[in-house]
Amino acid sequence: MLKYILQRAALALAVALVVSFATFMLLNYATDPASALAGEDATPEIVEQIRQTYGFDRPVFVRYFEWLGGVARGDFGESYYWNKDVASLVLERAPVTIALALSALMVTIVIAIPLGAIAALRPNSWADRLALTFAVSAQAIPSFWLGLMLIILLGVMIPILPISGDSSWQHFVMPAFVLGASSVPAVMRLTRTGLIEVMESDYIRTARSKGYRGFALLRRHAMRNALLPVVSVLAVQLGQKFGGSVITESVFAINGLGRLALQSILGSDIPTVQMLIFIFALIFVLMNLLADLLNAALDPRIRIT
Amino acid sequence: MHFLKAITLAALLGTAVVNPALAGKSDDTLRVAFVEEILELDYNYTTKREYIIIADLIDENLFEINPETNAFEPAVATGYEYIDPLTIEVKLRDDVTFHNGQKLTARDVAYTYNWIIDPESESHPGPGHATWLKSAEVVDDYTVRFHLLNDYPLAIRDLATRVSIRPENTYHVDGKVVRNAAALEPVGLGPYRVASFKPGQELVLERYDGYYSNSPKGDVPIENIVIRTIPDIGTQQAELMSGGIDWMYNVPLDVAQSVQGLPMVEHLSGPDLRVSFIVLDAAGYTDPDGPLTNRQVRQAMNHAVNKADIAQYLVGGTAEPIHTPCHPAQFGCDTSIQDYPYDPELGRQMLAEAGYPDGFPLDLWAYRERPMAEAVAADLEKIGIDVNLRYVQLASLDQARANQEIPAYIGTWGSGGTADTALIANIHFNATTDRNLSGDEKLTELVLAAEATSDQDERRRLYTEALTIIADEAYWVPLVTYSVNYLVNSELNFPLNADGLPRLYSASWK
Repeated sequence: MLKYILQRAALALAVALVVSFATFMLLNYATDPASALAGEDATPEIVEQIRQTYGFDRPVFVRYFEWLGGVARGDFGESYYWNKDVASLVLERAPVTIALALSALMVTIVIAIPLGAIAALRPNSWADRLALTFAVSAQAIPSFWLGLMLIILLGVMIPILPISGDSSWQHFVMPAFVLGASSVPAVMRLTRTGLIEVMESDYIRTARSKGYRGFALLRRHAMRNALLPVVSVLAVQLGQKFGGSVITESVFAINGLGRLALQSILGSDIPTVQMLIFIFALIFVLMNLLADLLNAALDPRIRIT
Repeated sequence: MHFLKAITLAALLGTAVVNPALAGKSDDTLRVAFVEEILELDYNYTTKREYIIIADLIDENLFEINPETNAFEPAVATGYEYIDPLTIEVKLRDDVTFHNGQKLTARDVAYTYNWIIDPESESHPGPGHATWLKSAEVVDDYTVRFHLLNDYPLAIRDLATRVSIRPENTYHVDGKVVRNAAALEPVGLGPYRVASFKPGQELVLERYDGYYSNSPKGDVPIENIVIRTIPDIGTQQAELMSGGIDWMYNVPLDVAQSVQGLPMVEHLSGPDLRVSFIVLDAAGYTDPDGPLTNRQVRQAMNHAVNKADIAQYLVGGTAEPIHTPCHPAQFGCDTSIQDYPYDPELGRQMLAEAGYPDGFPLDLWAYRERPMAEAVAADLEKIGIDVNLRYVQLASLDQARANQEIPAYIGTWGSGGTADTALIANIHFNATTDRNLSGDEKLTELVLAAEATSDQDERRRLYTEALTIIADEAYWVPLVTYSVNYLVNSELNFPLNADGLPRLYSASWK
């Protein structure tokens, strides 16, 4: 088990390194960081001054390995755009995105699993069709559009929630719903399929013969097995919430990692983009690892050796 | 856990009743939204338009440029006098204080300017000021002498813009140079002081009670200003409609028009010194024998673009078509030069006479206002030019231009809000700039000569000569002036100025 974890951790590191190299090269070759930092009306002198100040005139490979050396020493460098230590910048923003991602995951769980269960209890009934229609619709709605619709409805027409910012828990309600809703269809359908499959198994027939019916049957016997694949998907979805935060945080003006990533990319802020991609890649691999470990914990039959 | 439970409940029930912060005159706080993130507050180290707007609130210059008359008016200075062509003596007011209560003296002014031009400062106005300013010298508590390197007619303009005066030794802390010492809490002289600042999020300003009287900015009517970054224009719009903000600017025309009928919102359109234009590779850097090296082709392109329609339907407001490579409101921008009226038929005919009856392929680069770029491309296609629109990020365009890979691009220039042709001519027709695709050495001579004399009539003559060459040779296709669209709380008075710079300190409640 320990060997497996170490292998996966090494893989995570390798992925992050490859991605960081590709990012560094793309950001340097696809654009000129000096002019991006200088802005639209900057004179060539200012652009040149920035180029020399930040060392953009030196070979890109040299700069990449310098950056890598810094990372190995725990130094993620200085942000060109924010004029600040990258590590502290990320640490400052991370709690907001973690809160948003976990809230969004809660929204997904609270909506998707009950809906999936309702649909599975009576397959092909009106409830099932309604749940599936909802799932298809939710899948088709882009997050930014849903965000704007919610803003118009709950921020402007019935002004019960703040529209933008992150200074109170109320500010998180709409963005968490938007970010969470995007995962509902996948989790709901998986719950439904898993439950329908489990409900046809022998041990459920036995439970039925003992008199268990409806939600009691689901809760006490069917859920544990049916939710195994759902757990894996939820772990991956949590990783995706970090990526999804880029758009959601911009729409709701939330100062988390997603907005930091977008602004850093637009500003060609290489050190910040590097670190964020490093972190996002690590989160994805670690979430997958977590999913495997959770499955192993829930089902002794698939223990990893 | 409690937090997550609360969110879940709110999401499920949708009944969490909150009171979003309402903007308006009730708490005498003007709430402003920017798309751009505000990362630091020291204008000596920033360039973008949003930073100019903020610097206008928290900082002062020696002189102010009156936006209506373009005249230089004393601000914290009382006046200036040329002791000789290379020495300007500036007298200061004796009743001006910094936000920390410290009195402004000549030592602060001399320190600021000497620091700005010191290469060690790496300040943004430094390279520009160092071309004409040798040093600043303290004569007495309220007198400073500026020693010039050469005759520079824009010296007073430069003393009226760009440099924010800081208390002596601001950038030298305990004997060490600290360039970002004023980045987060600048000690300024302006009508508002910084109450709190979260970079990238929110800036809270409060009226500075010690602000000097009879300043060109006048008494500021509103007590507090809160500036927030809201990147999405749709979200800004919703905030305005729900009373969360009072002011948004650079609003796309369609967005502004879509809400202008609502009672709580007012749509304002103001002028802007920004102009747009197409720069053509007349020198043949990308192709020595290419069609753009042919004057008649360039003239045909000038006839092809329907600038009036672009101004009216795509920019709107006060936008107007131009035929000058400068804003007509700028000093020296002679509008009597050659015009090429919209006449696609004539354009097609000229193209045929130039040897291109079937047109030619053209890579046209652009980085902003895609609808305008597409309209221009469509107009050029009407006379037979097969346009490949290369719509890219500004940084990519900059890089390609530096590598001389661009045959034609749609550029824009705001002149830093300064109404003088020097601000657009130098950057675009000096031989040292990669924006100059004319290859015309005479133009370099003219624009440099116009900046080397204080004789305003001579400057005007030199610019007329330069603009005449540009128009006759059709080095550019001038397009339109811009207009800035604002959406504001209908309870707010927001005066607009001819130079297009939004002056938030002049806003008041109705």
